[in-house]
Amino acid sequence: MAFEWLSKFEQGTEKEADYAEKKLAAYRLGMKGKGSIVGVMVHTAPDCCEPARQLPDKKVYHPDDAPSLPLSDCPQGRHCGCVYRPAMSYQDPVI
Amino acid sequence: MQSTLGVLARIPLFKLYRSFGWPQMLPVNLTLSPSPKCNSRCLTCNIWMKRENELTLEEWDKTLASLGKAPYWFTISGGEPLMFPHVVELAKLAYQHCKPGIINIPTNSILPNIPERVEQIARACPDSQLIINLSLDGVGEQHDRIRGVKGNFEKFEKRLGQLLDLRGRLKNLVVGIHSVVSVFSVGHLDEIIAYADGSGADQFITEIAEPRIELDTVGLPITPSAEEYARAIDRLIKYVESKQFKGMARVTEAMRIEYYKLVKRILDEKDQVIACYAGWVSAQIYADGTVWPCCVRADNLGNLRDHNYDFKTIWFGEKIKEVRRSIAAKECHCPLANASYTNMLHDLPTLGRVAGNLMRPKVPLGAISLPVKAESGQSSRDRIA
Repeated sequence: MAFEWLSKFEQGTEKEADYAEKKLAAYRLGMKGKGSIVGVMVHTAPDCCEPARQLPDKKVYHPDDAPSLPLSDCPQGRHCGCVYRPAMSYQDPVI
Repeated sequence: MQSTLGVLARIPLFKLYRSFGWPQMLPVNLTLSPSPKCNSRCLTCNIWMKRENELTLEEWDKTLASLGKAPYWFTISGGEPLMFPHVVELAKLAYQHCKPGIINIPTNSILPNIPERVEQIARACPDSQLIINLSLDGVGEQHDRIRGVKGNFEKFEKRLGQLLDLRGRLKNLVVGIHSVVSVFSVGHLDEIIAYADGSGADQFITEIAEPRIELDTVGLPITPSAEEYARAIDRLIKYVESKQFKGMARVTEAMRIEYYKLVKRILDEKDQVIACYAGWVSAQIYADGTVWPCCVRADNLGNLRDHNYDFKTIWFGEKIKEVRRSIAAKECHCPLANASYTNMLHDLPTLGRVAGNLMRPKVPLGAISLPVKAESGQSSRDRIA
């Protein structure tokens, strides 16, 4: 994958208070708006908490059903490195 | 109105600023993103899904007033910038407060009122060059597929014709074609080049599809491999080198060739390659008033609403220092065109190569063949030079 630094950079960036709300609202709108988004995935951080580690790998959620990040008991709070990623129809496999 | 020479005179000062933090300078190259809303559904971009508490015109007015005459080059970006209801007023405000040399606006060509808005902006900003770049990612149905809108290519052709007509009446209007080279389009770049060549547009520019925080494309497989990109772009370079340009166009085309070569090196070396001046010379103001050094990292340097709309308090504040350290330490690298052209102007070896290219005789296309533009979006392979 090109520009891997950016993925790490994004994971290292402190989240806004409304991170989950805004991201999931965008994906919800995206799915209604006939784009190529098919859902949302959680990309966990290498040092993520145990509950995050238990999340199913590469699962595509509907935005209504995706876990809220950071997870409620995450000890890193808004510094949690887990992020949402849009799942696109052209990804292979789309999961 | 600001002159190009005035901008060039600031180069040594920006080099000092980046190295020593003095003299403090406001950015020359500023991107304004008034809204993320867009009526395209591009495979390479997810910005259209976002909704923001957008700055009002009054807020833009105060912000632009705080910048004075520093910005020379404005890009009004999006989303689809010409869909933003107040885009004409926004351009007017930028013109009134900052007197920029250039206002650059990309467009997806979809809305029928685009020519009307372009004419209004061009007439309201008579001493600025207005560059309108129409996006083209394929010829015919390929364009529609990548942009996610049926009939988009047809609209592109219609808007191009309308804008070229306008160009005949408006001296300060430049009409260009802009292509994003992605995994979806890299295989048919030749066809796009040939189409652009016969289109009558003033310029043809390309940019590689890359992940950006702004576009929510981090981690998506949209960037062609270094090898695929090099194969396609080498043909574009040969093509550009074979053309005869005059005056300023010769310089801009020579810069473009250097940019394409720079992108190849960035992909190959996974390094900044030349020093990045995002955060010193270039910046972006996002729809909600957040100031970024660039749209790739989109570091939150501060929100204008929290700083009484005074850009300077963010630009010369504390928060930006760590971001500048990170950029200077090469903790990031990317081929973002907007920043890269600025960076190239501040890189002496690049400027030397541009000067060398200007003195070199033109190279005939020789064995390079490109598909020639044909009717109805079809193409046929034939030699064009």
